Amino acid sequence: MLETKKVGSVMIVGGGVTGIQAALDLADAGYFVYLIEKSGAIGGAMAQLDKTFPTNDCSMCIIAPKLVECGRHLNIRILTLSTVAGISGSAGNFKITVKERPRYVDVDKCIACGLCAEKCPKKVSDEYNAGTGRRKAVFLKYPQAVPLKYQIDPEACLQLKKPGSCGLCEKVCDAGAINFADTEKAHAFSVGALVLAPGFEPFNPEAAGIWGFGKFPNVITSLQLERYLSATGPTDGHLARPSDGKPVRKIAFLQCVGSRDENKCGKGYCSSICCMAAIKEASMVKEHMPGLSASIFYMDMRTHGKGFDKYYEQAKSELGVRFVRCRVHGVEPHGKNGDLRLRYINEQGRQVEEYYDMVVLSVGIETPKHMLDMADLVGIQMTANNFAAASDFSPVTTSKEGIFTCGAFAGPKDIPQSVVEGSAAAAAVAQFLAPARGKLTRGKAYPEERDVSMEAPRIGVFVCHCGSNIAGVVDVVAVEKHAATLPFVVHVERNIFACSEDTQQTLISRIKEKGLNRIVVAACTPRTHEYLFRGTLKAAGLNEYMVEIANIRNHNSWVHAENQQVATTKACDLVRMAVAKITSSVPLAAVTVPIVPKGLVIGGGLAGMTAALSLAEQGFEVHLVEKTDKLGGNSLNLKHTYSGEHVPMKVAKLIDRILLNEKVILHKESVVSGVEGFVGNFKTTLKNVNGRSRTIEHGVGIVATGGKIYSPDEYGYKTIRRVVTSIEFDKLHDLKETHVKRGKSFVFIQCVGSREKERMYCSKVCCTHSVQSAIELKREDSSRNVYILYRDMRTYGERESLYKKARQMGVVFINYELHGKPKVTANGKSIDVELWDHVLHRPLLIKADMVILAAAIVANKDAENLAKLYNIPLEENGFFQEAHVKLRPVDFMTDGMFMAGLAHYPKPVDESVAQALAASARAATLLSRKEVTLDAVKAIVDPAFCDGCALCIDVCPYQAITLVEKDAVTADGQAVKIVAINEAQCKGCGLCQGTCPKRGVYVAGFTLDQLRDQVRAALQA
Amino acid sequence: MMYEFKVSDIAEEFGVHRNTIRNWINAGTLPAQEGPGRKYLMKFEDYQILCEKFGREPLIRPDSSVDLKTVSFLEAEKRVGPVLELGKKVKTLYDDTQWADECLTCGTCSSACPISGVDGLDPRKIVRMAFLGLEDDLIASDWAWKCTMCAKCEDVCPANIQIVQLMRRIRSRRERDKVPGPIHKGVMTCLERGNNIGIPKDDFLHLVEELGEELAEESCPGFVTPVDIHGARIMVTVNSREPFAEPDDLKWWWKIFHAAGESWTLTSENWEGVNWGLFSGDDEAMRTVVGRIVDNMRRLNCEMLLLPECGHAYFATRFGLNRWYPEALKEFKICTIFDLLLEYLNAGRIKVDNTIHTKRTVYHDPCNYGRKSMRAFGQAYYEEGRAITRACCPDLVDMEPNRGANYCCGAGGGAWAMPFADERVYYGRMKARQVSESEAKLVIASCHNCRDQLKKSLNQEYNLGVEVKYLWELVADSLVLPKNEINWTVG
Repeated sequence: MLETKKVGSVMIVGGGVTGIQAALDLADAGYFVYLIEKSGAIGGAMAQLDKTFPTNDCSMCIIAPKLVECGRHLNIRILTLSTVAGISGSAGNFKITVKERPRYVDVDKCIACGLCAEKCPKKVSDEYNAGTGRRKAVFLKYPQAVPLKYQIDPEACLQLKKPGSCGLCEKVCDAGAINFADTEKAHAFSVGALVLAPGFEPFNPEAAGIWGFGKFPNVITSLQLERYLSATGPTDGHLARPSDGKPVRKIAFLQCVGSRDENKCGKGYCSSICCMAAIKEASMVKEHMPGLSASIFYMDMRTHGKGFDKYYEQAKSELGVRFVRCRVHGVEPHGKNGDLRLRYINEQGRQVEEYYDMVVLSVGIETPKHMLDMADLVGIQMTANNFAAASDFSPVTTSKEGIFTCGAFAGPKDIPQSVVEGSAAAAAVAQFLAPARGKLTRGKAYPEERDVSMEAPRIGVFVCHCGSNIAGVVDVVAVEKHAATLPFVVHVERNIFACSEDTQQTLISRIKEKGLNRIVVAACTPRTHEYLFRGTLKAAGLNEYMVEIANIRNHNSWVHAENQQVATTKACDLVRMAVAKITSSVPLAAVTVPIVPKGLVIGGGLAGMTAALSLAEQGFEVHLVEKTDKLGGNSLNLKHTYSGEHVPMKVAKLIDRILLNEKVILHKESVVSGVEGFVGNFKTTLKNVNGRSRTIEHGVGIVATGGKIYSPDEYGYKTIRRVVTSIEFDKLHDLKETHVKRGKSFVFIQCVGSREKERMYCSKVCCTHSVQSAIELKREDSSRNVYILYRDMRTYGERESLYKKARQMGVVFINYELHGKPKVTANGKSIDVELWDHVLHRPLLIKADMVILAAAIVANKDAENLAKLYNIPLEENGFFQEAHVKLRPVDFMTDGMFMAGLAHYPKPVDESVAQALAASARAATLLSRKEVTLDAVKAIVDPAFCDGCALCIDVCPYQAITLVEKDAVTADGQAVKIVAINEAQCKGCGLCQGTCPKRGVYVAGFTLDQLRDQVRAALQA
Repeated sequence: MMYEFKVSDIAEEFGVHRNTIRNWINAGTLPAQEGPGRKYLMKFEDYQILCEKFGREPLIRPDSSVDLKTVSFLEAEKRVGPVLELGKKVKTLYDDTQWADECLTCGTCSSACPISGVDGLDPRKIVRMAFLGLEDDLIASDWAWKCTMCAKCEDVCPANIQIVQLMRRIRSRRERDKVPGPIHKGVMTCLERGNNIGIPKDDFLHLVEELGEELAEESCPGFVTPVDIHGARIMVTVNSREPFAEPDDLKWWWKIFHAAGESWTLTSENWEGVNWGLFSGDDEAMRTVVGRIVDNMRRLNCEMLLLPECGHAYFATRFGLNRWYPEALKEFKICTIFDLLLEYLNAGRIKVDNTIHTKRTVYHDPCNYGRKSMRAFGQAYYEEGRAITRACCPDLVDMEPNRGANYCCGAGGGAWAMPFADERVYYGRMKARQVSESEAKLVIASCHNCRDQLKKSLNQEYNLGVEVKYLWELVADSLVLPKNEINWTVG
């Protein structure tokens, strides 16, 4: 058979955060990407959200840099208003036709001035605002849209519907960008692979009727609430009742609208995201409106992700969000003024009636018809719930070769998991297209850097409104005026969003027009946005370090919202300090170091093996380190994945592939004992069981050290023989142990060691695991009595079907609360389990033959050692802390280091595999480059002052400082010593500078002079 | 300890009208004595029992002088039931897992049911008890009989639990002589004597003949009551309560038939349309009664069957035909009052005057023609009743909620006949509030039960001050009768 010649380009369908992540990872790893977006701009659902859980980051603020990066990327071509129209060819070389609907606005001419929309006489409901607001027939999807271009809605436009009837926009457009004669275009692309990431649509509750959506104006969906809370929403972020503008004092959230409801919504699955979204929204509205009361009506709180349970507890105990365990049958109007009435049953079984100003329906997610049609067109299989079907062991690979999928289209999931899958899809594609890497990509070219050394400082200050995040608190005009009075400031302007694509263009032109050589951006945190502005400076021909960010949002408007005057004064102070500091800045030269194109994966479990194999199949050499003498890790304890795939068989195959792959170098019975180096150039020392050491050079590292099962002290585990953990039970069951085989009564107790004070997190896998075991027990013998005692059943996503199956088989589910834990006592041959029935409100007794504890997954102790060696952080529960929970879920803050699997947080097989692939994709973006450019903010030794006292060496957390001998000798003949900095290892943290008593060392960009100027400026007020 | 209260306060607390509280005091449901200053006094324990009965938390007002410590003690003591050992009971009540096993215990049903919490009734709890095998308790309890089988719970259940079937099955397992009220007796009488009340054939024939003569005199010259007319287009059943207690009510339909020139007939025997086997859970009786109707249809060779009585009569008969006599449905059609009245209006066979009923009118959706029909037959009658009402009443409004989500009047499932008046009235508070919030002065019901509860109970209990009419009564009262026109020949 003839091998198809693989093409080095990829088509990604869907411009949401998932598609964007896949696009960036692929484009950075040497593949050309066509990003196909159905609407007029990329950003997807995340661009519609106000804040994101569990960090309460502003959603737009964290996605905007990614949008800009995508829009600017040389190797990403974005096609908006486009859909896939046909596919031919085969995996590795597909011919895909794309239909691009007419925009009626020439993108090359449109400068997004907005005059057209201002004059347009036609208003229609705005999809971006989820129907809460109105837009014009010619419109910009949202203020930070990428591409920042207007478009005409042909359904609404008067001129297009009846030529000659309007055409106002055309008359006012000075750029001449309006083109009513625009037509549909067809494109044909050759691509090696196709990634489907079209996302989801929120469930529309109108048809179900009972919740009054579409009938009572104060019943809104969760997405609509996001828009009301958003600064770019229809009410500029103020929450008022749609019916009468009255402030909202009492708000209710109804969970599971369009999820877990086979009757009114025809959907059995759980949408996974709505519980957290509701908690977040309830917390946000309480913050917006002091004194507001928020109630969440739910069936099971499903806060199973990292940091989620803590967030839930905080909302409950600190913010006072009220949680009521009862689903509400419907919403009724109360009186004529727009109030709403709910009836429910409280935990004592009594009926309660309450009145609310507003009711929010936590709508689920679904795959709409047009996406199903597309799936049909490209020929992939879907699940019964209309999500893309995939194996748990290759969660981003569809049923058709060469076609991959990620995000909510492949099953309900939240943003972090979608981002993980975006990266995972990139890895899967890169594995598949490895031979074609770098064939179709181009390099980035920046204009030559302008020499500003002879110029006097010419500072430009840009004050960001951040929608209303800053401008809603700080008097930005006052800040602007103040900035204009400062020395060397030659230009000041305000921007609605300093991070948007159009502002970057503005910055570039201002730098050129006004001859600016230093920039101050008064906006948010440099942690997320500094690199964006640096890129902009580079594009404008300035040294990228000539920008200073004054954080007038996180450090100011967010924390001083209650005192606007103080906030404004502080904003002025911060701007003045930033101007003072940048004045004496000098251009810094970046350090470039070559990359060792090899990976190191620590941990030979499922995640580690998957990551290693993925890197190897992408063509990189990988060292795989395993502490024991056996590959497989925790997966060796598992029998079936949630969708029923046989784990031992799949793991055995994976081990075979690892062993057979020449690029994987396996180090069994070895641990990491020493680490040197930095991104691109790590030197890791391994020590094996015989005490022999070996040093490995590698460019990137992936930590996949797994987790372990908690050993319970509760429920008589250590005293009663037939009280076992779930993993132990699986083994006994497998061995057909006689008590299991003959047992007639089994009790599963959930949340053993999880979701309690010491470990306020959910172990995520146990509900599904117990349900599967229960089903198995019932299948073997339907006369058995099987009980599952739970706090919240968390069979999230499509796992819900297992929960239903267990109920169909007669498994008894009993809810208990933390204050009423089951009591387990030995009673002769059987075990007595006593608890309270949540429905009958009476005590229950179960005589069990066996009690199975769903024990928590806890972090490995080894993690602490690795954390120190690689300088990678652990969070409070001992799991590794990612760089950003939402958008960098597999990266460490330490460059070149990544994580996957249980080491990050408890998770099931499919998610471990996805995360491992994601780590591989992220690692490959580095490995596929020849060299890495390091940050120029480094410590620099001043030989005039350093006397080699070596105090700084001890405090350096990165082992970047060494003591060396100078050529000179002292009077008594001793060699003169001085410290030297390993530039690549130095992170520029400044500890040395702070420690040095003699000004012998300083950090570039943070010189003592600069800091002095900054302090003086602060005191000038 | 004595608890002091005002009638108005406690009425508001319980969501009922002051009249209801006074009735409770008079009937002893609320054992209180009149005290000074228009206040009443009752024992605090009695107040607690009352709260318990209606599923409410006792409300301690600052002026009710109650020692809180004693209160909580009593509460805690009372609520804890005996320890239940699981895994011992054998389930015999059902075998379809959709009746209980698949329940999510989410509480949607309980939140929907107007009387959950009353006397410990709670659909979720009942489903749970059935699932855990507490069958004896369920059968012994009166819950299933206080339930009106309105299916509001089932309509909103996200897991599609068949709650109404379960309720009916629980009813069916009650020993027959312990079936509350006249339900079982009615069934037996019907089986023995052809109708629930046992009206003899001669009396019935005499009555309908006389009524026909009266009608001819009053408004329909030439009218003769058609009985046992072979080949009539429509065969019409009778609700035995009408000839027995409200014979004049029969005339509305007859007047409409007369105006429409319909070819129709009553039957001389087994004319009963009511089918209380549906309520008592007696499938055999239900089948027999439906079978008799089938026999009559065949004997008289009619094209269409009309059950003009209760929504339940239509429901039970159509259900029985589908289940036991599917072949009969090939021989004749079962039509609803809505189908027929709309046919008359649309074809111009009757004309109605829309200037007679000008006050604001609201239409009540009966459960049996609405969501229950939807669930059982895939067809509900929501718009038809409104179209007919609107033809007569220009100012027609809706209740909230309405159609499939409407609240039951409180008297369905046989509750009108059952000895649980307190619960029935309390149940009806939802309906009463809907009616008063609609600000209508005329309520249209298309089912006997609903009409009786609205007209004879809720209207007084809740001081609604509305007029209540049957849909066909409204049509009959709005008819524009031809003057000096030909006399329609019947049969």
